[in-house]
Amino acid sequence: MFTVPFDALLLFTVISPIVGYIVPQRYRTKILGAFTVAALAVTGIALYELYRQVVSTGAVYLPSNDALFASLRVDALSIFMTAIFLGLGFAVTIYSMAFVENSNRTPLYYTLILTLISGMTGIVFAGDLLTLFVFWELMSISSYALVAFFKEEKASVEAGLKFLVMSAAGSATALFGISLLYGLTGTLNFESLTSAFSDTAANVWIYLAALFIFIGFGVKAAVFPLHTWLPDAYSAASTPVSAIMAGIVIGPGVFALAKVFFTAFVSFQISWGPILAVISVITMLVGNITALMQTDVKRMLAYSSIGQVGYMLIGLAVGTQLGLTGTFLQFFNHAIMKGAAFLCVGAIIYRLGTRNLSEMQGVGRKMPLTAIALAISVTALIGLPPLNGFPGELTLFASTVEANMAWLGIALLVNSVISAGFYLRIIYTLVQPVSSPKLEQIKDAPLLMLIPVCALAVLIVMFGVWPDPLVNFAGDAAQALTSLGGTA
Amino acid sequence: MLDLAYYLVFSLALYVIGIYCLATKRNLIRLLLGIEILVNAANINFIVFAAYALPGFVDSKGHSFAAISIGLAGSVSAVALAIVVLIYRHYGTLDSDELKQLRG
Repeated sequence: MFTVPFDALLLFTVISPIVGYIVPQRYRTKILGAFTVAALAVTGIALYELYRQVVSTGAVYLPSNDALFASLRVDALSIFMTAIFLGLGFAVTIYSMAFVENSNRTPLYYTLILTLISGMTGIVFAGDLLTLFVFWELMSISSYALVAFFKEEKASVEAGLKFLVMSAAGSATALFGISLLYGLTGTLNFESLTSAFSDTAANVWIYLAALFIFIGFGVKAAVFPLHTWLPDAYSAASTPVSAIMAGIVIGPGVFALAKVFFTAFVSFQISWGPILAVISVITMLVGNITALMQTDVKRMLAYSSIGQVGYMLIGLAVGTQLGLTGTFLQFFNHAIMKGAAFLCVGAIIYRLGTRNLSEMQGVGRKMPLTAIALAISVTALIGLPPLNGFPGELTLFASTVEANMAWLGIALLVNSVISAGFYLRIIYTLVQPVSSPKLEQIKDAPLLMLIPVCALAVLIVMFGVWPDPLVNFAGDAAQALTSLGGTA
Repeated sequence: MLDLAYYLVFSLALYVIGIYCLATKRNLIRLLLGIEILVNAANINFIVFAAYALPGFVDSKGHSFAAISIGLAGSVSAVALAIVVLIYRHYGTLDSDELKQLRG
């Protein structure tokens, strides 16, 4: 019906609750986890086949091979984004097999994870705004349910509601913006939107449509004045959910902004570029400075995600192909780093039962593997070579210099230094001598938690030492977007 | 037919009413109604633009978008009401000012 990988993902999503209720309750977590891992693996293999097709033809259009009537449009950018969705989904699912307790609600947890990943895949595969919006809601609804999934905890439910109200208002705002865009152009297809405004002078309705769409998608991307839901949702959700949310759910927001602004509004780039630059600087400053003041580790990491969103917006503000390469590279690397950091912190909280940084002193001596992985991911988040945070930030910096916006690059450097302030505090806490007697009996995390954490840490080092294939892939993705928008 | 501008003013006014509702009301059910009002403002836009796309014709894209978005808004409301029920069980109230578990 759609493409093979997407069909496979949707099919597995639909049958996962049925499988869940057939297997006996004692084995549900393990069997459903294995089922989800298998689903993501099959999708990954099918995605590789699709990738080879995309490389040879440039872009795949569906349902028919007609660009102007395509509901789905798969190009290098879609494949790039989907690869990281599946990759982090894989790690989080293995981790969940140790984390989620057996109960009659367990199958729903894995179904929601699969639904979330299907929704995000649909967003990046979309060829028109209708398809994009439908999958946007699929992603949103499953993320609301996932944040509030562990309903015995007061904080989760409250964070779920807060997230829902802000995010649903954001989706409605985006819908309003899309409706104005439809009224202005008479089309929703990205290929036709590109040429719709090419010889139109800017008027108030175009600005209004752009503003509504920016606010709407910006809520999910946690852009500055719209970020208030993020720290609550990420810190109150259970660990695997915060890892998947922090790592990849901001991605579709950034992607949708990039897609709409680089197709429909591409001819007004001179107007919105500088505004976006200012917003990106404010976003990263707010995120990093607030993170400095936190004592709760999960909240600290959540605020640092806002700072990272600011870095990603730099590339969009610059708007060149190099800038977009930096944005997508930073998104890919951030997903791995932040995913690993959240999973490590979650393993420590799982063993220790506290989220306060000062009570974690000396944990590194008792949980060496988790602590090493956490130290690696946190160092990468600062952006130090030879880890994978470095190539992304370097590309972003180079793009600002190339576009004569070096002040933006300097803001990025200043923010990296600020962020070192709280990231290094985490490492400092880990290597302290053991302080409390409570820590004496702590063992390292369970094997199923260590596997994904260590795998992600290895990836961080690997993409840091040898970033070329990833940088080229991100370059292809950026090229796909700029050639669609006609700026290259 | 009426001028397009009247419909646009109406839908923008509806949008502003929805935002006002979200900003000032403290009852959780009213907040959800505010979200519904926002979605409906957008749906009216789609129907109007579909009718005015070409004189004498109706564009089916706008209608199908409105129909699908009504369905999506319904499923969001279902999840939202489920979470509101959980909130009521935990806190015993629907007043949003009483939700103080999470600071800032």
